[in-house]
Amino acid sequence: MADLNEKDIRVFVDAVTHYFLQLTREAPRIRGAYLETRGKRPPDMEYTGAIALSGAFRGRVYVTAPRALLRHLLVATNEPDQSHMAILDLIGEMANTLAGNARRHFGPQLEISIPMTSSGDDIRLPPDGGARPYIVSVEWKNYAASVVVDVQRSGDHTSTAPARPQQAGLANVSFGKA
Amino acid sequence: MIRMMIVDDAQSIRNRICRLAADPRLPELDIVGSARNGATAVRIFRDTRPQLVTMDLTMPEMDGVECTAELCAIDPAVAILVVSALTDKFTAIRALENGARGFLEKPFTDDELVCALIEVMK
Repeated sequence: MADLNEKDIRVFVDAVTHYFLQLTREAPRIRGAYLETRGKRPPDMEYTGAIALSGAFRGRVYVTAPRALLRHLLVATNEPDQSHMAILDLIGEMANTLAGNARRHFGPQLEISIPMTSSGDDIRLPPDGGARPYIVSVEWKNYAASVVVDVQRSGDHTSTAPARPQQAGLANVSFGKA
Repeated sequence: MIRMMIVDDAQSIRNRICRLAADPRLPELDIVGSARNGATAVRIFRDTRPQLVTMDLTMPEMDGVECTAELCAIDPAVAILVVSALTDKFTAIRALENGARGFLEKPFTDDELVCALIEVMK
């Protein structure tokens, strides 16, 4: 097993920045990307969308965000349906997009599932990757959200493409223990 | 009027593409169906024969590449725009080799979708 490195994590930081920029023309503030404190998950923020990873990797990527942020994103795309189901659908699509975009860097050996979504205290997640996950802490319009990257390489693998160039508005990212 | 079908497992994406299909830069589009997986898309396609399709790739039951190949086998003239978050070159090439005319990455802006639809209809 091999842990992801800083360049690998940068891929997810850039993906979430790109996501907000494309949908809203307003980049989020990346407050940090850090290793999770052992045994302490980030706070669940009402809605969670998760993707299971397989192939040359194992683990999961998930996004957890508050209802207000997700409703705001729906408004930004002129979506009139802001129901519970529409919000679940959106957070699943967000997780799918972030994981899918990571294949630019990791290649097709990163196989991704369809999204698993949940809300409230009943958080449903795919199996973990077995290593300490990275947490990308995101702030957008004063709302906080987290992207959790819980992935390990499951065999010999080298990246097939360079990471996406740093996006405009991306804050400095620190790597280390929270 | 051009008949169009939207295939994506995310309701938010299906709704957004449906709204953007009314953009005045596009020819008049008639949304004849939408589907959340490839198997349903094939059934709707046989019944409604859309000329233009937007196609997600990661879907339950039948993925978008397999669905693209099936739709092109039924009607080789169909214009299929793949709209997917899978941004690696291998996936894009595989979709194009199976009959897609264009590939648009998610997340997309409104303008990017409209321009991509115009391109695949040429």
